[in-house]
Amino acid sequence: MHRIVVDAMGGDHAPDEVVRGAAEASLALTNAEIILVGDAAVLGRLLPRMRHDGARVRVHHAPAFVEMDEKPAEALAAKPEASIAVAADLVARGEGDALVSAGNTGASVLACARRWTLLTGVRRAALAAVYPTELRRGEKDDPFSLILDVGATIDATAEDLVGFAVMGSAYAKLISQNRRPRVALLSNGTEAGKGPPEVVRAHEQLVETTELNFIGNIEGLDIPRGVADVVVTSGFVGNVVLKMLEGVSETVVRLARYAHKERLAWRLGLVALSSAIDQLKEVTDWQQYGGAPLLGFTHPFIKAHGRSNARAVQNAVKVAHKALAGNLCGNIARTMAELDERAQRRTTSQGDVVGA
Amino acid sequence: MFRRISKLPVRIGERIGLFEPATPQLAPGERLPKRTFRWDLDKTYLRTEFDSLKDLAKSAIETAADKQAYPGATALLRALRQDGNRICIVSGSPTQMRQVLAAKLALDGVEYDEFVLKNNLKNILRGRFRALRAQIPYKLPAMLSSRINVPAPSEMLFGDDAEADAIIYCLYADLIAGEVSLTDLERVLIASRAYDDDAERCLDLARRVPQAKAVTRMFIHLDRRSPPMGFRRFGPRLVPVFNYFQAALVLYEDQVLTARQVIFVALEMLDSGQFALGHLATSVQDVIRRGRVTRESALRLTEEAAEAARSGALSGRSDLPPFEKIAESFRERVRELGGTVAPEPAVAEPLDYVRLVDEEHEHRHRRRRQGMG
Repeated sequence: MHRIVVDAMGGDHAPDEVVRGAAEASLALTNAEIILVGDAAVLGRLLPRMRHDGARVRVHHAPAFVEMDEKPAEALAAKPEASIAVAADLVARGEGDALVSAGNTGASVLACARRWTLLTGVRRAALAAVYPTELRRGEKDDPFSLILDVGATIDATAEDLVGFAVMGSAYAKLISQNRRPRVALLSNGTEAGKGPPEVVRAHEQLVETTELNFIGNIEGLDIPRGVADVVVTSGFVGNVVLKMLEGVSETVVRLARYAHKERLAWRLGLVALSSAIDQLKEVTDWQQYGGAPLLGFTHPFIKAHGRSNARAVQNAVKVAHKALAGNLCGNIARTMAELDERAQRRTTSQGDVVGA
Repeated sequence: MFRRISKLPVRIGERIGLFEPATPQLAPGERLPKRTFRWDLDKTYLRTEFDSLKDLAKSAIETAADKQAYPGATALLRALRQDGNRICIVSGSPTQMRQVLAAKLALDGVEYDEFVLKNNLKNILRGRFRALRAQIPYKLPAMLSSRINVPAPSEMLFGDDAEADAIIYCLYADLIAGEVSLTDLERVLIASRAYDDDAERCLDLARRVPQAKAVTRMFIHLDRRSPPMGFRRFGPRLVPVFNYFQAALVLYEDQVLTARQVIFVALEMLDSGQFALGHLATSVQDVIRRGRVTRESALRLTEEAAEAARSGALSGRSDLPPFEKIAESFRERVRELGGTVAPEPAVAEPLDYVRLVDEEHEHRHRRRRQGMG
């Protein structure tokens, strides 16, 4: 049985929507136990109002929580018993197997980073995000590509980028059921020598891996095209790219609203396109994806969108369950060990040549 | 030989539902039982699907061995039968299923004193199609009739969230407590679309039933996982439970079951493979959170269960961890709640049964329109 810890107080619509999502997940996942962390009195009032399985949802009291706009380090220092800290603690102590939160991203990542250990061979954890693209991928026809790191850390070495590629690929294989996800490095050109030194070195290393389906470098415009299933970059660049992509999407929506108000002909055009727009919305609905993972630790952490409703939370819990059932962390550790072994063999053989 | 042949038409009649078996009555000089436990069967004791015609057909052709009881229900029924208590089963299943259902209960080792089934063949032959689905006009008279024959001082009722069990049980409890007038009952029966003669019979039984505040507890098995809060209006005497370990915990607090009997319910649930120790511990936390069992009772139970375990209640169970470890996991679930105080169960206010029946009808029709049975 997999125990999934849910930060019930994190998110714009917490605790109501988070509890509702977790309650629905308890009915859908028969071999999981859901541990809601938060104010026990509040959660105890909410749960009985919802359909759930009382033998599979339990409450762990946490008297405080981190607000969405609080500074992560300061908030965690001021509130050691905040729900996200208690939730991360539960997993660290072995009382839970995975964590889901829709709360303050910085505080969530920090709470995990301070309490959890990195997988053997992983030097840095990476926060991934999903982005809707033109192409579908995997057995599930998944329209989302994975971008990592989008802000767990600022910069990354070549080895870190290789690690991110391994983690992203393992995640895409399991969650999107994509047998051989295409992995690419984000750079300012598709040529192997393009980009900063760490990207060039990472390219050299990734080209030699047989475990990954590395397709080389891609440029920013290739992300929405869906050229790669896993886009690897440093936290700083990833965060800038993600925010820009989100900004562009919001602007398109705003322009459509403007057009809708401004001219009758434009309005009619939008009405004619409405079914296609609805279909597109359905395909690219982030709520069905559930959340994005923090990869590299010994336990999966799924960061649901701050605006998550019950459906998104339920799907985030399902993703966490799938990550546990498919042994995501074990798969990452195994691939990292294989890469490490090959690197060591290469070093030894080079030493032999030099010695000879 | 002649006697067996002469009884044959009666047995065939009972089998096809033309005759009802005689209602058991107390023999002269026989003492009243301490308690009567009334059980529904489908979705309460037996895991039954009848949300579609396919489910109904499957349920009708299943053998006794195919039928599945909910984990813990058999152990609970056996425990309740002890001390000369009375088990009465009132089910909406058709009389034609008596043999297979009786065989299932026999297979499970469940003894009972009364077993009432719905004579749907009679309803069809008389063209009374409304009665096929009607619950109140069928179950209420059956329960009243049973109580007239054997008026135990205390009664506990077990039903589920699929039909109108909560309404019927509360109506029965209030009726025998003298809190529902015959005029109100008549209005409820009209709202329930009861046929005139059925309503007349029910009113007659209500006039004759010995009055007492006998119903002390009602359990609703949340087979459909309905939100427990939906049952709050029925007051603290009605407890919605997700599983029979929770029912056993409440009955332990009510001093109906001993710690040892609660252990047996738990063991049956573990043996079913559908529950692990963690589920049972979480079930304890759930009933405490809902204010149905106190922390003190739960902790006292772990102490008494530890004593029972030491005296051999768990002997031969090498598959389980040491009891002290089990007890600690249960205590941990209680501690997890921090210092929060469980909400007070709602104080029962007089129920408007006519409105409840109307709402239930509307709900049932909505579900049918949505294709959910």
